[in-house]
Amino acid sequence: MKIKRETKVTDEIPTASMADVSFLLIVFFMITSTFAATRGLDFSLPEQEDNPPVVEKEESVLIEIQPGGQLLVDGTPMPLDGVLEYLRPKLERNPLKPVIIRPDPASEYGYMVDVFDELRLGAEKGVEVKNISIPTQREIQAFWF
Amino acid sequence: MKLKAAKKNQAVIPTASMADIAMLLIIFFLVTFQIEVDKSKVALPKTGIQVEIPKKSAYVSITEPGYIRVSSGEEISVQVPSADEVFSFASGLVARAPDKAFVLKADRNVPYRIVDEVIDALKRANVRNVFLLSDEEPRAAGG
Repeated sequence: MKIKRETKVTDEIPTASMADVSFLLIVFFMITSTFAATRGLDFSLPEQEDNPPVVEKEESVLIEIQPGGQLLVDGTPMPLDGVLEYLRPKLERNPLKPVIIRPDPASEYGYMVDVFDELRLGAEKGVEVKNISIPTQREIQAFWF
Repeated sequence: MKLKAAKKNQAVIPTASMADIAMLLIIFFLVTFQIEVDKSKVALPKTGIQVEIPKKSAYVSITEPGYIRVSSGEEISVQVPSADEVFSFASGLVARAPDKAFVLKADRNVPYRIVDEVIDALKRANVRNVFLLSDEEPRAAGG
């Protein structure tokens, strides 16, 4: 009788399906991940103080934002791109001159961001505004002179 | 003389490296994957200044009709009835982590009154780091 030789089983990890599994995972991540906005404008809030420093009206520059987006800088209508040039001589005399942004409650949020961004961009144009303040309505009612 | 039969070359697409490429792609997605905690649709303001927002920041979003949603940065945002709720929400987070960053994701067309109430609530809750979420404004060439 002829005895059949035992077939040799080789040790092997089956990797044939690895590419399929990997591609399924890739499809999952591609579908669930979103291109969310993760950048923005930093906006540090001051610490709450019981006795905040009083800024005299004459010492500061007041930028009022009206409902349509028009700007009144120290009471004078001004386009957004003229604000930095207006501030330049004042900041040369006093680099810490406070600039107060006061948006009208009925104005749109986007206009406030536009003004704030313009002032922050001033550093690149040689007009660095170091002291920007955006008081809230509660603070205006409590401390406004 | 015996002629050798021509060897037949089989057409094969090499797939040995496919698993490696797939794994690299998976690693890329795993590293960049971030759960979007707030899916509210807003038209963000555009800014020239853009800084990277820290991961796991808390979110306060304001959509155009004035709806306010909050998220601690670890779970999906929930709607709150008013800015006063933002104060209690932010106070709780700041009590646990004083340096917690907050992201204000507001629609550019929303009335400033609502944003003012939210900023005031964050100020009262002693929040220090606030980021105004924005889209990048294309800069004019040459400055």
